[in-house]
Amino acid sequence: MSATSAFFERLTVAGQDPRFSKVCGSVRFDIRDDGHLEQWLLDIDHGRMRVTRSGGPATTVIQVSAQVAEAMARGEVNGLAAITRGEIMVDGDLALALRIGRLFPREPGRLQRDDPDSGT
Amino acid sequence: MRDIAGTVACIDGNTFMVSDTAGDVASSPSTPVGLFAADTRFLSRWRLTVNGECMTALSVDDSQYFEVTFFVVPGAAVDYVEADVSAIRRRRIGPDLTESLTIFNYGERDMTLDVRLEVAADFADIFEIKFDIGDKSGEHYTHVGPNELRLGYRRGTYRREVVVSASEPAEFDRGGLRFAVRLRPGQQWSTRLQAAMLALRPDGVDLRAALRALRPDDSTLPRSVQAWVAAAPTLDTESVGLQQVYHRSLVDLAALRFAPLSLSGASVPAAGLPWFMTLFGRDSLLTCLQTLPVTPSLTPPTLRILASLQGARSDDVLEEDPGRILHELRYGESAAFEEQPHSPYYGTVDASPLFVVLLDEYERWSGDTALVTELEQEARAALAWIDRYADLTSTGYVWYQRRNRATGLDNQCWKDSWDSISYADGRLPGFPRATCETQGYAYDAKIRGARLARTFWGDPAFADRLESEAAALYERFNRDFWLEDRGFYALALDHDGTPVDSLSSNIGHLLWSGIVPPERAPRVVEHLMGPALFSGWGVRTFAEGQRRYNPLGYHNGTVWPFDNSFIAWGLRRYGFSNEAARIAEGILSAATYFEGRLPEAFGGFDRETTRFPIRYPTAGSPQAWSSGATMLLIRTMLGINPHDDHLAVDPALPTTFGRIALLDIPGRWGKRDAFARQRPDQR
Repeated sequence: MSATSAFFERLTVAGQDPRFSKVCGSVRFDIRDDGHLEQWLLDIDHGRMRVTRSGGPATTVIQVSAQVAEAMARGEVNGLAAITRGEIMVDGDLALALRIGRLFPREPGRLQRDDPDSGT
Repeated sequence: MRDIAGTVACIDGNTFMVSDTAGDVASSPSTPVGLFAADTRFLSRWRLTVNGECMTALSVDDSQYFEVTFFVVPGAAVDYVEADVSAIRRRRIGPDLTESLTIFNYGERDMTLDVRLEVAADFADIFEIKFDIGDKSGEHYTHVGPNELRLGYRRGTYRREVVVSASEPAEFDRGGLRFAVRLRPGQQWSTRLQAAMLALRPDGVDLRAALRALRPDDSTLPRSVQAWVAAAPTLDTESVGLQQVYHRSLVDLAALRFAPLSLSGASVPAAGLPWFMTLFGRDSLLTCLQTLPVTPSLTPPTLRILASLQGARSDDVLEEDPGRILHELRYGESAAFEEQPHSPYYGTVDASPLFVVLLDEYERWSGDTALVTELEQEARAALAWIDRYADLTSTGYVWYQRRNRATGLDNQCWKDSWDSISYADGRLPGFPRATCETQGYAYDAKIRGARLARTFWGDPAFADRLESEAAALYERFNRDFWLEDRGFYALALDHDGTPVDSLSSNIGHLLWSGIVPPERAPRVVEHLMGPALFSGWGVRTFAEGQRRYNPLGYHNGTVWPFDNSFIAWGLRRYGFSNEAARIAEGILSAATYFEGRLPEAFGGFDRETTRFPIRYPTAGSPQAWSSGATMLLIRTMLGINPHDDHLAVDPALPTTFGRIALLDIPGRWGKRDAFARQRPDQR
């Protein structure tokens, strides 16, 4: 199973997140891999989350390549930076998209550059 | 807006253009002149010539921040005595740059003019300019069309473009455009130039398209500025200087408003021109605290955006932790490619406690309990961050030590330059460090958080806990930071708990936060107003006599208006009205030497010696918290404070002002006036 599928499976199982207790809205992920389109629809109703594989309408649509989606699911992507450089395209409510971004993991040591003091 | 000598700025939030007095831009890689948006320079050259001659300014009208008019003539300054040809450039900043160019022939002969506009775009990130980094990884491209010049920059999926066009027929080439103009005597010719700035996604849509759609039509801008000024209280005083400073500060606060990408069109204060035209946690929170009596509408969107971008995970590059409030947010290339950590960067230790302080102070003024409820979760997370993530040595203080060792900040307090925290003998302490004023903010946040928990969140147990933590912090702080033999608080604690013994302005913030026992306050005040710290204009960041003191040291001796405004607030809190009034007089008098606009900082030289405030070479201006300082100093002179459902007034004017009235101060009381008159016994 891809990291992306595993990520959405986890959300399905979790079913809710207290951090979104005041959030209502829907976000659709359109994930493109060459000609193939994979769509996940996330509905949030006061913290209750429902995940479906659906191309239904959503208040916010996030378009990414399969490669970027995998990296996001592995916690390797800074969402705001990726939006600024055009790798993640958001249509609709950007504030909601950024909030949803908190659902993705983050590798704590991600991209930590060489330590000029360490000499290694 | 000629603060950096010889330059003129035109501003609309985080979009701005800095040129010379003739309206031209001929930038060098390391000077912040040109047209900027979203931390990127979209025009690095914009230079008008007529028959090969450069223009010279006769006068500049920049009374509207978003519009500047240049009256210019061709030729060097000595030649224009008999100028037959003259021109007006009317520039306006909105989502795009527009410039109306009109050329007049007041001579007696027919004229054939070669009107040339040189155009170039380097798409430099503001950090490339700051650090003078010349090489870019992506590629530039140029398309010359029959009706436009398109200059672009591409790096992978990152693309920025500027499209220059004109309303009159022009000949476009790779270096600009040119018009062949024939004018009979008395005739004039006009064209409207446009430079559209684009931040393009791979599908050709502008990243900011949704946000721009929410922007009101540009024709409403002059009216919206009038409305902004009209909505603010009216200042009535016989002091022309103070009137000027108040009006300028109010308009500059309007100029610096910008709508961040993720806030559905609401606007928040950008920190300041030219280096800080973006959202900063600390600057925006302190600006809101300063301006609550005057422009309270800045506060809710500021709290909301900081809440929406509050740290949720732990990340060593961004220095993010759950509950941490951000330091700096950027949209330029270096942030996009994570060469700088600003997307967003969390390396500040004071924004999190100040978030709670502002939320409480805002409710006291506005009575807006809905916002306190809306942001409960975020305020609790910020309070939790103080104890869970900031106490790096488990000693009960807020410490900092950067985790991003390549591009993170050494000092994560407001004095964030590398050498700002030092012992009196000049040694730099080790890491982690705990600066004194941050402990004051944390104390204040706990006290105020307790009020919010008890009054609005229905959680008295949490309130009790916060209050007992605050009491313990008060005890601990007054034991560990107080230097009994010197009579002031240490600037910081070194990593091993040794007090960093230098004398600094930071001790003034402690009065504002209320962490100083009343019996110690007179000794602290004596230092603040003594000759080592007080220059006559204001309190220096760092006292004379410390090894690293320098009247032109960014955080080591200059005077910062914002710093002084909080010190004055603290002085009034402890009953030192005359001292607060002296600071208000000094800073507001200094402002009159800067055409009413307080810069970020000015030299720490003695007032008696220099007679006028000395410009700090690279000081930013306008600067949100310097404009805010005016408002907070007026608040401290009037002694206005929300007290339950009414506004308490307890004026204490410096002798220079005979009368000040602030009319229609908005708040939970509706609108109230505050009057202050010089008491005869003070004359």
